[in-house]
Amino acid sequence: MSGPPAIEVENLRYRYPDGLEALRGVSFSVAGGERVGLVGPNGAGKSTLLLHLNGLLPARLPGEAAVRVLGTPLTPATALAVRARVGLLFAEADDQLFCPTVGEDVSFGPAQLGLSRAEVAARVSRALAAVGLAGFDDRPPHRLSAGEKRRACLAGLLALDPAVLALDEPTQSLDPRGRRELATLLTGLPVALLIASHDLGFVLAVCRRVVVLDAGRIVADGPAADILADEPLMLAHGLESPPPWSVQGRKNYSE
Amino acid sequence: MHIPDGFLDVKTAAAGFVLAGAALGLALRSARRALPPERVPLLGLAAAFLFAAQMLNFPVAGGTSGHLLGATLAAVLLGPGAAAVAMASVLTLQCLLFADGGLTALGANLLNMAVIAPAVGYAAYSLAFRAAGRTPRACLFAAAWGAWCSTVVAALCAAGQLSLSGLAPAGVVFPAMALVHMLIGLFEAAITALVLAAVMKARPDLLTGGEEAPPARAAGLVPIGLCVAAALALFVAPFACGWPDGLEHVAERLGFAMRAAEITALPAPLPDYAIPGLDPAVLSAALAGLAGTAAAFLASWLFARALAPRPRVEGSGRA
Amino acid sequence: MTPAVVARAGPLHRLPAGLKLAAATAGVVGLAFAPRDAFAVFGGGAAVVVLLVLLSRVPPGRFLRRLLLVEPFAAGAALLALFPPGGLLWFLGLLARTTLCLALLILLTLTTRFTDLLGVLRRIRLPRLFVTTLALAHRYLFVLAEEAARLRRARKSRTFSRRRGAAWRGSAAVAAGLFIRSFDRAERVHRAMRARGLPE
Repeated sequence: MSGPPAIEVENLRYRYPDGLEALRGVSFSVAGGERVGLVGPNGAGKSTLLLHLNGLLPARLPGEAAVRVLGTPLTPATALAVRARVGLLFAEADDQLFCPTVGEDVSFGPAQLGLSRAEVAARVSRALAAVGLAGFDDRPPHRLSAGEKRRACLAGLLALDPAVLALDEPTQSLDPRGRRELATLLTGLPVALLIASHDLGFVLAVCRRVVVLDAGRIVADGPAADILADEPLMLAHGLESPPPWSVQGRKNYSE
Repeated sequence: MHIPDGFLDVKTAAAGFVLAGAALGLALRSARRALPPERVPLLGLAAAFLFAAQMLNFPVAGGTSGHLLGATLAAVLLGPGAAAVAMASVLTLQCLLFADGGLTALGANLLNMAVIAPAVGYAAYSLAFRAAGRTPRACLFAAAWGAWCSTVVAALCAAGQLSLSGLAPAGVVFPAMALVHMLIGLFEAAITALVLAAVMKARPDLLTGGEEAPPARAAGLVPIGLCVAAALALFVAPFACGWPDGLEHVAERLGFAMRAAEITALPAPLPDYAIPGLDPAVLSAALAGLAGTAAAFLASWLFARALAPRPRVEGSGRA
Repeated sequence: MTPAVVARAGPLHRLPAGLKLAAATAGVVGLAFAPRDAFAVFGGGAAVVVLLVLLSRVPPGRFLRRLLLVEPFAAGAALLALFPPGGLLWFLGLLARTTLCLALLILLTLTTRFTDLLGVLRRIRLPRLFVTTLALAHRYLFVLAEEAARLRRARKSRTFSRRRGAAWRGSAAVAAGLFIRSFDRAERVHRAMRARGLPE
């Protein structure tokens, strides 16, 4: 890949106001178009790390920016521009779908960009079509299935035309079919992916590379197949290797 | 207390819309200025919470059950301005979603339950809270007391609107509404204290209002207070000297009211009302009101005593 | 609720929401402020309501159930009108006009999606903060109702007392739990808004 990496994180530290030290010096980078899994036990700091990619947590430690997106350092001044390039999918779809209808929700992002009405409408229908929800404009979100909600959230991100998608537990509360459809959808997108998940089979199916986070530090970073097959490493960090049958999924999605 | 369509006449409904509109406009302005941006979605979620909480049943007796109104609870948890906006959303939703509360009466309903109830509730709460010593128990006591006051005053205002519309004589509406809502107010007080105590136990950090009221919360209180005063002056005061003598007097007036098909805008007190003096009916009504208020005050104190968190070894009992 | 009904669209469903809201408002205003003995007007109103219900293809049973749900409150309050002279006739007149207004409002809610009504409220320049609050309240009402049901079930499955006090504490705990969850959710929703470009 040419050009700057999609995401560069350098020695990122974060302590919550209540004193909890969530990130203790995290460094890694994701190349343009690369698909990376972020795994680790509960409380490892995965969600905190994703929030940092959008500059959503206040009071970073003083010093130079620890996060760069497509070469742009993430600072309060650049946060709005960076958020348009990095789509963040939250763990709970109901938090993310806050508008009365799916159409309004998908248009929320583009409407903030100062685009023309026609352009916003075009982006909305393009994004909805991309996730297979064409014609869902007028649906109220509470009428959608869990899978449809997840895809509607994704449409809201795609409408911003992002270069990176950072997904927090994207398969949560999806049935196997919804999970499979999501994997197909994600692997077809021309964006870099960072997927934080406990669903290791899904990570293996979608990502070539895996980063293991535990207690705010990166403890492993390498090819997904090798790392997820490393039983002792997995067990040491509250994880387990996905069952062999789910590895077959990899053939379906990765190429 | 939701007034349906058809109960109010034009002037009362219009006055309701004007006063409620003015007060809510001010509340929105103060909320926009005083609320930190991360709290703006909280207005909507608080409204959804109030709506859902109103659907919870609190069994009373014989299969009947009461429910929360929530104006004072919201005012204590969010501040009066935000509570007014949230309550207004709840009432508007109830009207447009379930036809609960009339469209022409929406102004009056907003005024009673989204303006007067949280404003009176919060005022009574903060006075009592300060007087009772700013402890958790004082917070529960003050909230229960505020809830009772807000229920009764809002009901009196509704009674004034019904009476002014010529629905029924003031001598009937006021005692009936006052009596019923002095009882309902006790439920509201108990439920408010119960819910507040449960929040206090699980997440004491959310009850910043219990420690101190930041200036932001009090912003805009004065103009809203003026709207409340205007509403009370318009809807309650004209009857204040007329209503205590209740049913007896209604009987006397039967013949008169027959011809006075529509009661005039602000009925001037009749000569025999002018000097209530020591009229036994007035005296007994005043005494009854006083006794009810004292009982509510005592009840609020007892609720708080029973519910206030005691220092314990282990923090348990979450929902 | 309403959206399911709207899916089976009749001719009234397809009319613009603004037109329906204006018409319903006009009808309600006309009826609510009609003299209480204008029984001719009420008769005409009733005929129009019946005609509209039939025309709308809203299932009459559903319409009547909704009406019966709110009618008792109106009828109960109307009892106050028995006191002044002319009692019964006035009571009946009051009941008639209140019921007709309720019927019109219910017909409006059964043929119009709330999201469309929100659009109208936004267009008539209601303060934006208020419309946003309404929209969010409507959006999360259903989420919270489900949460309340879950909390109540969880509580019930571990409650072995039939005492009223336990029921009260249970409901209060559910209400408190709901408040805490909505408070936390408000923070997450705000975060999601910022993530998609809401200015700080």
